[in-house]
Amino acid sequence: MKIMSVGAESKVFLNGNEIIKDRIKKGYRIAELDKKLRISRTKLEFKILNKCYSLGIRVPRPIKLSKSLTKIFMEYLGNKTLKDNFNIKYLNDAAMMIAKMHNRGIIHGDLTTANMIIKGDKIYLIDFGLGYFSQKTEDKATDLFLLKNALKAKHTKVYKRAYRSFLENYKRYSEEYEKIAERLEEIESRRRYIDQG
Amino acid sequence: MYVLGLESTAHTFGVGITDGKDILSNVRDTYLPERGGIIPSKAAEHHYSLASKLIEKALSESGLKLKDIDVIAFSQGPGIFAPLKVSFQVAKYISEKFNKKMIGVNHCIAHLEIARKFTGFQDPVMLYVSGGNTQVITFEDGYYRIFGETQDIGVGNLLDKVGRLFEIKFPAGPEIERIAKRGKRYIEMPYSIKGMDVSLSGIETFIKRIKNSYRIEDILFSLQETVFSMLIEASERAIAYCGKDSFVITGGVAANKRLNEMGEKMCEERKTKFKSIPMEYAGDNGAMIAYTGFLMKDYQQNDLKPKTNFRTDEVKIEYR
Repeated sequence: MKIMSVGAESKVFLNGNEIIKDRIKKGYRIAELDKKLRISRTKLEFKILNKCYSLGIRVPRPIKLSKSLTKIFMEYLGNKTLKDNFNIKYLNDAAMMIAKMHNRGIIHGDLTTANMIIKGDKIYLIDFGLGYFSQKTEDKATDLFLLKNALKAKHTKVYKRAYRSFLENYKRYSEEYEKIAERLEEIESRRRYIDQG
Repeated sequence: MYVLGLESTAHTFGVGITDGKDILSNVRDTYLPERGGIIPSKAAEHHYSLASKLIEKALSESGLKLKDIDVIAFSQGPGIFAPLKVSFQVAKYISEKFNKKMIGVNHCIAHLEIARKFTGFQDPVMLYVSGGNTQVITFEDGYYRIFGETQDIGVGNLLDKVGRLFEIKFPAGPEIERIAKRGKRYIEMPYSIKGMDVSLSGIETFIKRIKNSYRIEDILFSLQETVFSMLIEASERAIAYCGKDSFVITGGVAANKRLNEMGEKMCEERKTKFKSIPMEYAGDNGAMIAYTGFLMKDYQQNDLKPKTNFRTDEVKIEYR
């Protein structure tokens, strides 16, 4: 088993063509709280993966939860990220999937191009570690706001064109685009206001 | 070259003097309301009435005269307007009357700079926890950026609000810590973290509802465990995300031993350096304003007015 990455809350291992995401124990939290959080978050992430998978949204195929309920076994999709292989075509594809997820009340919580994997000629969404279920317009708009910032930071040169194209595709599949777009603007102006002091 | 710094963003009026290398004096006085929270006008009155006495004290402790001072630095924000404007007005008066350069310092950046000075850490992630402020800050791309923060109230504010439910006097933190030590049973409380942001006000609402069903020791124990876990978790995410090698906790709530213990443990597990800083420099103080004023001594500032919502990422950091 090879260790793939160590994040703030989990370690990811590669075992053959399976990924094992292990939410690690945090010694700073009391054991009771730590266990509760790790289990509830792992179960939620697994549930979101299953839901997406069954809706036909491209995510790693969820395989199983460990007995401890703190590890997820899932399909390995390779490590070709959209961040390192940027192409608007794939981003447009992701926009369609994100719109469908939002329609069903699934929030990713950490949309960046590092969390999008290219396999074959398809794009997949990964890492639902901060994901949750919500039908709130605010939460969907925040999801888009995070992606916009990530595009701006990592793909500065193509960012404007990429983001416009992303929104066009998102709009095509979203069931409540007007509301979300309106809220997105509100979040941005709130932010501008704060930034100006 | 000597810089005199004035701090007055909230309860504390502080005066510090530095030559850029050592802190030559650091004196302060804190306004304590008889009961309840801060009354802004009373805090301002308190600061005005003590300003000249504290400035004289700071000067005599460092063996200097006002004429030896080259720069007057003041806390420009963020803060509560009435007390905030005291340091501005006092600085302006001295600056105009004695012809000294005036430097406006961001209060949160000052906490970070004094923390860097006392820990020796070059580039830490800082958790800044006080009454009104709860932020995870680090340096990126020429600015001090806020990576995570509270979406509602500051952690000190939460502790004081909960304290009031149990008739604990302001500031409630130390007494809450003392009582929490006797707690054993963990009561699950709203644990709300989104990315690196936390929400805290839900916990007060929750405690209001359950306060008569549990022992106070267990409630306050669970309060500390829940809130501090959230703060340390947000900090750890920032450390991992930004790839930083050190961590420091500052602000009034940094006096809490349990919070420090958790920070230390988190760092130990991920092999990150951790240090506490002396409380004299963790709480609001004039020395941090003086020291940051020294770092900024060559800045040309056009806008020196107090800014209640002064953001850390408004200030371009030119000295590092």
